[in-house]
Amino acid sequence: MTPPMRRPHEIRQSFMDYADSGDERLRNRLVEEHLGLAHQLARRFTNRGEPYDDLVQVASMALVKSVDRFEPDRGVEFSTFATRTIIGELKRHFRDKGWAIRAPRRIQELYLAVRPAIESLTQELGRPPTVVEIADTVGASEESVLEALEASQRYRTASIDAADRHDSSMALRLGQVDTGYSGTDDRMLLALSMADLPEREQMIIRLRFVDGLTQSEIAARVGISQMHVSRLLASSLAQLKEAFTRDS
Amino acid sequence: MSSPEDGSPEVRTISEPVKLSIPVQSDLILLARLTAATVASRVGFDVEEVDDLRLAVDELCVLVADGVGAGRLNLTFITTGGGVEVVCTLDNLGTAVEHDGGEHGERDLSVRILDALVDEHSQEFENGQRRGWLRKRSVRHEHS
Repeated sequence: MTPPMRRPHEIRQSFMDYADSGDERLRNRLVEEHLGLAHQLARRFTNRGEPYDDLVQVASMALVKSVDRFEPDRGVEFSTFATRTIIGELKRHFRDKGWAIRAPRRIQELYLAVRPAIESLTQELGRPPTVVEIADTVGASEESVLEALEASQRYRTASIDAADRHDSSMALRLGQVDTGYSGTDDRMLLALSMADLPEREQMIIRLRFVDGLTQSEIAARVGISQMHVSRLLASSLAQLKEAFTRDS
Repeated sequence: MSSPEDGSPEVRTISEPVKLSIPVQSDLILLARLTAATVASRVGFDVEEVDDLRLAVDELCVLVADGVGAGRLNLTFITTGGGVEVVCTLDNLGTAVEHDGGEHGERDLSVRILDALVDEHSQEFENGQRRGWLRKRSVRHEHS
């Protein structure tokens, strides 16, 4: 059950008590009280091919991290601190999943080079790289790298179009596959690669991406845990990705 | 392009403000995001800061255009020492629009996101006029 709303000063006191005591009940209550924020931010990144449940999971984990790391005496509101942490984790999540971006092939391929370049440069430089440094490393123009980064961050603007305020988003339209880029080939390759997967994995992928079921719904239908569904999806998609990279 | 010898990113300046005018149409906010990213990259923001500014400009546009079905968004990108300022105004083609068309929860969330992503921001909604402003500085420049 959702705990009753508390005033900001009560929440701040709770954070101070938690910082002093490490009491797990306080921690759990603070997490529960801010779950709405995690859901709201996850929604900002929806409709771009990534299951909402997965985004909520990422956002919720980041929320827990925020509660654990928040220092109430620093004078920053927890909601600001948590928003920053959650957005950071959601950005990283999409960066890690960048191979699945719905963009022209050249952008996808560039992104496959950009992502590891960011990681290695961050280690090498001891700070996140600039776009120019990434462009130099992957041998592409700054503009192309910016384009690839834009495509990888599937941020959803709350729609500003009066007509589609409640049922659409800018990101939905931005996310459409460019039909000029070998869509038919990709579909054929996908069908062939799918056939290599075990029957159960094929069914789970169909339930997830064709029927639009959540991982929990799939788990109930197949008779396994949601975590197991998550693992099977991840390994199957990795296998499909490998097939795409190898054959395309 | 090489970086300075101390390993810090090279800062290039843009002497004139960059101006962009787009219809209030959600799929065109992509242009505002790309412009923001390009300007941020030009002044030496790292990739995380570029992403933050991109998202912040997106939210700023949504706040300024909230509940409006027509008109134009006019954006001005100004580079300051190691930072970027963005001004977004709404040209609503003569039709005064009060800022009551959106959902409060969504607006609050946009403000909260801006709080988290940029150093300063403000919004003015008076007499049918709307203006949003934000400023973000690179962390390295703040320390230099």
